[in-house]
Amino acid sequence: MALKQISSNKCFGGLQKVFEHDSVELNCKMKFAIYLPPKAETGKCPALYWLSGLTCTEQNFISKSGYHQAASEHGLVVIAPDTSPRGCNIKGEDESWDFGTGAGFYVDATEHPWKTNYRMYSYVTEELPQLINANFPVDPQRMSIFGHSMGGHGALICALKNPGKYKSVSAFAPICNPVLCPWGKKAFSGYLGTDQSKWKAYDATHLVKSFPGSQLDILIDQGKDDQFLSDGQLLPDNFIAACAEKKTPVVFRLQEGYDHSYYFIATFITDHIRHHAKYLNA
Amino acid sequence: MTSAPRGAARGTSQRDLEEDADELVHLYGLEDDDELGDEFADETMPRIEVSEYPAAEQRDWRLSGEAAEAEDLGFGGWGSEGQCQDLREAYRYAHGRASEEYECYVIPEEEDEEEAPDVFCATCKLPLRALEKVLEEHKGHEVTPLSKALESAKDEIHKNMCRLEKQIIEMENFACHLEEVFITVEENFGRQEQNFESHYNEILETLAQKYEEKILALGEKKKEKLEALYGQLVSCGENLDTCKELMETVEEICHEEKVDFIKDAVAMADRLRKFLETKTDVELAAQPALEDQTLDFSDVEQLLGSINTIPAPSAPVINPQAPSSATGSSVRVCWSLFSDDTVESYQLSYRPVRDGSPGTDHTESTVTVKETYCSVANLEPNTQYEFRVTAQNRAGLSPASERAVYMTAPSPPVIKSKEVRSCEEAALIRWESGNLNPVDSYTVELTQAEAPGAAGVTESVVGVPTCEALVQLQPRQSYAIYVRALNVGGPSARSEPATVHTTGSYFRLDEQTCHPWLAISEDGLTAVRSERKAPTREPPPRSTRFSRCVAVMGNLIPVRGRHYWEVEVDERSDYTVGVASEDVPKQEDLGANRLSWCMRHTWAAPRHKYEFLHNKTTPDIRITVPPKKIGILLDYENSTLSFFNVDISQHLYTFSCQLPQFVHPCLSLEKPGRLKIHNGIPVPKHVALY
Repeated sequence: MALKQISSNKCFGGLQKVFEHDSVELNCKMKFAIYLPPKAETGKCPALYWLSGLTCTEQNFISKSGYHQAASEHGLVVIAPDTSPRGCNIKGEDESWDFGTGAGFYVDATEHPWKTNYRMYSYVTEELPQLINANFPVDPQRMSIFGHSMGGHGALICALKNPGKYKSVSAFAPICNPVLCPWGKKAFSGYLGTDQSKWKAYDATHLVKSFPGSQLDILIDQGKDDQFLSDGQLLPDNFIAACAEKKTPVVFRLQEGYDHSYYFIATFITDHIRHHAKYLNA
Repeated sequence: MTSAPRGAARGTSQRDLEEDADELVHLYGLEDDDELGDEFADETMPRIEVSEYPAAEQRDWRLSGEAAEAEDLGFGGWGSEGQCQDLREAYRYAHGRASEEYECYVIPEEEDEEEAPDVFCATCKLPLRALEKVLEEHKGHEVTPLSKALESAKDEIHKNMCRLEKQIIEMENFACHLEEVFITVEENFGRQEQNFESHYNEILETLAQKYEEKILALGEKKKEKLEALYGQLVSCGENLDTCKELMETVEEICHEEKVDFIKDAVAMADRLRKFLETKTDVELAAQPALEDQTLDFSDVEQLLGSINTIPAPSAPVINPQAPSSATGSSVRVCWSLFSDDTVESYQLSYRPVRDGSPGTDHTESTVTVKETYCSVANLEPNTQYEFRVTAQNRAGLSPASERAVYMTAPSPPVIKSKEVRSCEEAALIRWESGNLNPVDSYTVELTQAEAPGAAGVTESVVGVPTCEALVQLQPRQSYAIYVRALNVGGPSARSEPATVHTTGSYFRLDEQTCHPWLAISEDGLTAVRSERKAPTREPPPRSTRFSRCVAVMGNLIPVRGRHYWEVEVDERSDYTVGVASEDVPKQEDLGANRLSWCMRHTWAAPRHKYEFLHNKTTPDIRITVPPKKIGILLDYENSTLSFFNVDISQHLYTFSCQLPQFVHPCLSLEKPGRLKIHNGIPVPKHVALY
């Protein structure tokens, strides 16, 4: 399908671009940001997908996180899609900041009126990678995923639901156990209905219990002064306990004094990029 | 004009040519016509330069021949162009294509180039044209192309030239040698002459002396005899006088009166009687003959005899010790004789030099040798010996030479192989001197133990003052390192080697720092804390030992590079692993101060607690899979200390630490358990990212 370039800026020797395309899964026009490192001029590079959190678009990550230098050095193509379908004119999509527009929760909705457009899970795991592989110099065999908050939840579930698809996964302040937190309950009941068994399929803490391999190496950074942590929205302990039980390798770092913002992300983004580079460039 | 000065070695034919040419030129007045003269000059000049070959001779007569013809053309001078032209052409034709320059070894071309010879008949030793070969004469002869023949002829000449050169050198050397021998003969003659002269003079003196003595003795004798005889003569005279007097008296008496006569006669008779009774000694007091004296010429004979005998030699001169001529048990003593004396053998005496009392109980040993050198063996290493030498021949012993002190080389040192530490770029070696007394310095030698049997390059570090050396090495190689001790006598034999592999870093745990409740294995890599609390013996506390924390430190090589090692741990035990500087307070826990950085694991079932401690603080980190083997990367350049779960290549944590001083690996066991260190591991790829 046709890609329309919206913007292009040179950064750390590479190019930060934004494209727009017609999404089949989401039935609307979608934008995504893509960073092509200098190495991409001469060969195929691995791909790293970033999933942003509530209220974000494709712009927040590329403007605020300061990831370009590390991506350029390690030679990674970084793709940051939007967080939900836009302009679908669904009733109620703009009512709350934590449900609907900007809050896709990376699920394939089954409930009306969301099920036509709100298929972010399939978009992120199927349509977008196919589009990227076909149009950019990426190695389809080497792919990793990470994200922040709702995007952290998205990264974890994509990796746990697709063993072997992603070489590595990491997250910033992820929503680890949505079925038990207010955000999750609100979003899942809206997108997936009241059958909680359907919810578990998109819950990292549950998914890890049945994750077949222990091949994943998960890095999680969590700001200690994150209000959403204290609000019980994130629930990392549950996830860690489940991973310890299943012997899934996790290093969870509680960072003193840091909050939920992009300042926190910017501080540790280099560590995460290096974490992924270790596996993508191996 | 045309006769520019030429080289000297041209030969008389050349002169003739020139003169002929000049003559002709003058004859035909060619100097009037410059242009013509130049042309003519050009024609002649190259030809005249031809020097060596018979071809020149040929031209010589031709020239004269043509000249003769030219003369016939007419004397009346020279003027018309036409005639001039003819002559020129005549010359040009006569001399063929001779306007090229010739080089020394190139055989000039014949008149007809098309028919020039191009092969060489080896049998007849003639150059031929290829066509000629098929003729009768040369059928069946061996033929080679002319160029080849040229080459081989050139080679032959060249070879012979080389041989000539060599011979020149030989003869020159021999001439020099002969000169030296000349001088030596003169010297020897001079010596012999002197020797003989002195002997001879001695003999003459002795003889003269003897003569004097003899004459003197004879003179004495004569005097004696004469005196004796004179004495006798005097007494004879006296006797005669007395007799005469008596006679006169008697005569007088006889003329006297009877009475007086009787008186006197009786008295006279008495007197006479008495007088005649005294014996007159008519024996000669001395014999006229002077006895023959046997002259004692024995000493002259001896002197005469000794003219033909050689003197006892003069004292040899003992050389100072040549550098590096000694071994640990022997020295090579050399001396020389600075005269032409005949020597049958030398006696070399020696004894060890002891400080302090020049005691009398030094056993002096003596060796007899025929050469002017001797290797004296069975000596103590690193010891000084005093040597002196005397020369001996039939005539006797020379005086002793000066005393010279020689020193044996030291014994080889002993490398403390258990204390070897290394990393990818260097190794730290320590050793024991191997000698009781001090040596001057040590030499460290390293060879890469790559190909067995291949002569590897040995690198040496000389002038090492103490029993320790930090040597630079290449990464990922194996080295054999030896140490030698050095003194004035020379180097010792090589020590036993220490093998160093420059893959990863090697270190051992240091017993000196070990808490009493920890036991370190023989290989210095395992620390065990056993169940028992109190050990059988409680050694006194030392400042180097950990007293509170049951810990031990390793000895990492002090090189500011990257060091990586792994520690095998027990999931269920409480342990701490990390690094600390050498002067970390030993009465504190690891990680409780600014001089240590470590990872601590506490097992409180079912939870594993992990802390990364420095100065009592730790970040909040949770790890879901407890590592069984922890990889530790110490990076001085980036000032970081990183920990990894080796089995799943998982990065755990990185300290940013300022490391102005060197740090060492350390570990402790908070509960009974075991920690084992794995060394010599190259930095894994996943670790290298950090």
